[in-house]
Amino acid sequence: MKPALEFLIKDEKVYSGALSCRGCGWSLLVRHLSSILGENTVYVAPASCFSIISGPYPLNDLKGNIVHTVFAAASATATGVRASLDRQGKEDTTVVILAGDGGTFDIGLQALSGAAARGENILYIVNNNGAYMNTGIQTSTATPYGAVTTTNPNGGFKRTWPKDLMGIIAAHNLPYAATGSLAHLEDLRRKMKKAKDTPGFRLLMIDGPCPPGHKTDPAMSISIGRLAVETRLFPLYEIEQQQYTINYIPEKEVPVTECLKHQGRFRHLFREENYPILEEIQEHTDWYWKQLLSKT
Amino acid sequence: MPDGPRTETATEAAPDRLSEFPRHQERIMKGNYAAAEAARLCRVGFVPAYPITPQTTIVERLSEMVSNGEMDATYVNMDSEHSVFAAAMGAALGGERVFTATAGQGLFYAHEVLQAISHFRLPMVMCNVGRPSIPWNIWSDQSDSLSQRDTGWIQYYGESSQEVLDTIIQAYLLSEQLNIPVMVVLDAFYQSHTSENIWIPEQDLVDEFLPPRRTAEMSIDLAQPKAFGGLVPPEHYYKFNYNSWKDVNKVESLSAKIAGRFAGHFGRKYGNVEAVNIGPQTRLVLVTISSITTTARGVIRKYPDVGLLKIRLFKPFPKASVLDALKNLPENAILANVERNFLGDREGAIQQEMKRALYGSRNLRMLDFYAGVGGKDVPPLTIEKIIYRATHSPEDINWIDVD
Repeated sequence: MKPALEFLIKDEKVYSGALSCRGCGWSLLVRHLSSILGENTVYVAPASCFSIISGPYPLNDLKGNIVHTVFAAASATATGVRASLDRQGKEDTTVVILAGDGGTFDIGLQALSGAAARGENILYIVNNNGAYMNTGIQTSTATPYGAVTTTNPNGGFKRTWPKDLMGIIAAHNLPYAATGSLAHLEDLRRKMKKAKDTPGFRLLMIDGPCPPGHKTDPAMSISIGRLAVETRLFPLYEIEQQQYTINYIPEKEVPVTECLKHQGRFRHLFREENYPILEEIQEHTDWYWKQLLSKT
Repeated sequence: MPDGPRTETATEAAPDRLSEFPRHQERIMKGNYAAAEAARLCRVGFVPAYPITPQTTIVERLSEMVSNGEMDATYVNMDSEHSVFAAAMGAALGGERVFTATAGQGLFYAHEVLQAISHFRLPMVMCNVGRPSIPWNIWSDQSDSLSQRDTGWIQYYGESSQEVLDTIIQAYLLSEQLNIPVMVVLDAFYQSHTSENIWIPEQDLVDEFLPPRRTAEMSIDLAQPKAFGGLVPPEHYYKFNYNSWKDVNKVESLSAKIAGRFAGHFGRKYGNVEAVNIGPQTRLVLVTISSITTTARGVIRKYPDVGLLKIRLFKPFPKASVLDALKNLPENAILANVERNFLGDREGAIQQEMKRALYGSRNLRMLDFYAGVGGKDVPPLTIEKIIYRATHSPEDINWIDVD
């Protein structure tokens, strides 16, 4: 039997020399995405790590136009870009937003919701690394419960649950939304293709490894991403018009600690006085998984 | 008793009879509709919209015209003014001719994106219908647009709704030649919701004057991909600003040139500024923008020694035009700046700009009059009070109707 090679990049659309940190997910994510979308693509990036990674003036590491825009308004800027292309008969050009979790869950949520509700023909990619990493690891509403960031006035780590972005997105009744992991490239590439070929507003949320922010070994980025899926901390699923499909069901019940223990941002949770927090995270993770199962 | 003489009625003299303008239709319409008509005549392709009083009827009328096919534009209901201007930026980068309108809080909210649009060197025209900041006030005030005067947008203030329509047409030509965005400001209610006789040019007449937008280098080009707006190192950022500065310096003369071409083509003449009754006999000049100018025009007919300087192009402030307009004014004359703005400073915006313009050239005494802030009416009586106060032991800075 031939090995599956569907995860290989055959037609590279990103130039070498990207400015990402070692072990960052952004470059790998965009290499796969751009190889699927092709050169007939306009990228829109709000303030984010990727805005830096793709190159300062006069560089552009993408074989495509990229519009860097203000933090709160990636979806609105993309709406204008889309309208101009459509008016010029370029309906086949893909407009894709590359945003972080801060630019999506927080400051960009209103514009995102507006564009989603209007059904703009835009693909939205959110690289969720769970904090404002570009400015140096500040809490966002995507930051996991229990994680340390540089802005946690309530005792040094986050004590609220992250916003359920996929739930919010599902409520917009989109034709296609999905989660993806760089540890499951075949699944991710299939979702990128599907997102490319589905008209309307589509969103993919990718689990974003961030060694400086998560305090992890850069060599472990993919392994930790795989553990996030196995522990159900980051389940892989698709939502089509509110119809849920879970794409990967772990064979064994792996405790969340197996994933958390590799990340320095959760190190304090492994002290005895914080064991109850680890239990809470396990309970919440189990509850979310059950919620997901009940929706399929 | 109020100081100064009283007038019994508003502008007593009948307005000049408008002559017939060939290839125009005469209509009676409100200022906001005139602005929408101008956008249609300029063949605008993209209109991002969000309602705010007293601008709303502009975007309502545009929606109606797009809906019934009078206008071939993509019209999008956005989620905020911040998004309106971000969408405008995206479509302008894509090469479209863009129009939108806002007011007050909407303009304040869009501040970040106003900066982005001018720094991206994107041509577009927007209308602002002036109103001040919360605590809620929807009435005429120019503090919103004047507080945005340093965002890199060119600003015109229209005295009449005809002037607003005509200025929008000129503004697209100016904006697309220099790649600098333009804001055309009209007064809340006095213009936005007041009907006037308006001469609407025929489409062909506008098309002859305003060619389709040529896509500049700063446009998305699928064949030649570029990065727009990424991190710019200091030495490049400095040079970008130098290039902007060079083009900003061209605005005043190009604006006059375009207005001259407009006059030849449409039959209506506008300057960057307008001097009325300014000569060796003049001892006081009222400096005004927008519809207060019309009130002042009427009042000064009774005062042979009072002149009027109307500022139409406000940003960049037309220093050469102002100096030229005042060239025959004797050195002992007084300038009275009539403000419909409060920017949290001692002096209002008009006086600030007039001082900058005259510094080193003329040493005229300058008095500031806060007259119409927050929609407070500036009737002929207030103008007469200003004239009286200016000539009878005035303060340097005066709030004319406080007592």
